[in-house]
Amino acid sequence: MSGDHSDAPIAARVRHLERLLEERGLVIPGALDETLAAYLNRASPANGARIVARAWTDPDFGARLLADAPAVIAELDLSMRGGLQVQDLQVVANTDREHNVVVCTLCSCYPLALLGPSPTWYKSESYRSRVVREPREVLREFGFELRPEVEIKVWDANAETRYLVVPNRPPGTENLAEEQLAALVTRNGLIGTAPV
Amino acid sequence: MSRINDVGGMYGFGQIVAEQDEPPFHADWEAHVFALNSTLVRQGVYQIDEFRDAVERLPPGQYLASSYYQRWFLAIRALLIEKGVFTEEELDDLRDG
Amino acid sequence: MTFATGDRVRAKSVDPSHHTRLPAYARGVVGTVVRFQGTHRLPDDVIRGISSPEEMVYAVRFAAQDLFGTGDHSVTLSMWQSYLERP
Repeated sequence: MSGDHSDAPIAARVRHLERLLEERGLVIPGALDETLAAYLNRASPANGARIVARAWTDPDFGARLLADAPAVIAELDLSMRGGLQVQDLQVVANTDREHNVVVCTLCSCYPLALLGPSPTWYKSESYRSRVVREPREVLREFGFELRPEVEIKVWDANAETRYLVVPNRPPGTENLAEEQLAALVTRNGLIGTAPV
Repeated sequence: MSRINDVGGMYGFGQIVAEQDEPPFHADWEAHVFALNSTLVRQGVYQIDEFRDAVERLPPGQYLASSYYQRWFLAIRALLIEKGVFTEEELDDLRDG
Repeated sequence: MTFATGDRVRAKSVDPSHHTRLPAYARGVVGTVVRFQGTHRLPDDVIRGISSPEEMVYAVRFAAQDLFGTGDHSVTLSMWQSYLERP
C-alpha cells in the first residue's frame, strides 16, 4: 500500500483499515455494523436506571445488589457479559451522609456491557486527573452542590471491577411506580456527577 | 515517572466540558473503531491488556493531541504491525490516526 | 501472604516502565482493605508474556489527606496482591 493518504480524514483511514482487514479475513464485511447494532440495542443507561428503580422500591433487592451485583442484576435479565471480557460489577449506594462518584484515572473503564459507551467528559484528562483530588469542586462544575457534611467516596476503576452508583431517591417520589422512577435516573447520576 | 495516561491527581487539565444529551458515538468511524477493537480482541489478534498498553505507549504529545477514538485507532494500527498482521509499510498511510 | 478486610496496607513505591494498573498517585501510600474483589491475572505480567497464576485483588481505601496532603474525601482503588505490602 503506497501513496500518501495521511492527510485523509480519519473516517477514510478507518474505512481503509477495515478494507485491509477484510482482505485478510479478519473482518467480515457488514459484521461491524451488526455487532454495533446488537451492542447498542442491549447496552444503555436505561439498564442502570432499571436497577436503581428496583433498588429504590425493593429494599431487599437493594441490599443484595450491594453484596453481589452481577448475580442480582440477572433477576432483571441484565448481565456484564456483553463486552470484551466478563466484567465484575460493584454497586455503591448514596445516603444522606455519603456520596459516591466513579472514575477511571488510567484509561476509561466503565460498565460498558451494561450502560453502553461512556460520555466523552468521563474519558477526558480533566475529569480523570481532577475528580480524585478535588471531587467537591468537580461536582460543583456539574452544577451539583453537595452539603459540606456529606462525605465523598471516589472509586477509581483501575482494575477488573466496574462501578455503578445508586443515587438517593428524590423526595416526593413515594407514589411513583418503578417505571416512572427509572425515567428520573440519568447517566450522570449512575456515575455520581448528578444527584439522580 | 509514569506514562502519559496515568493522570490521576495531575494539575493543569482545566475545566470539564460536558455535552448535553451526548450520543453513544459522534460519528460512524468512532463506532467502527470501537467495534473493530472488539472484533480483534475476540478473534485473539491481541488481548485487552495489550490494547491498553498500546494506547499508553503512544508518544505523549500524540496522546494528548488525539481524540479518544483516534488513540484507539493508532493503538490498533500499532498492534496489527507488532502482531505481524501487516507490515509497517502496508499501514504507512494510517500513521497519523 | 494475603490480606483481610480492615488490614492496613501500603501500595508499593515502584516505578515500572511497562504497563501497570497501579496509578502513580497511590504509590507509597497507606490505606485500608475494604473488600475482596476476586482473583485476576496481573496485567504487568500478562503484557510481558510472563505466565503467573491469578492473584487476589482488593479494594483499598485511601484518605485524600494521605494521597494529596489535602481533602476530606477518600479514594478507593483496586489493588492486585503484588501491588501491596505491609506498612
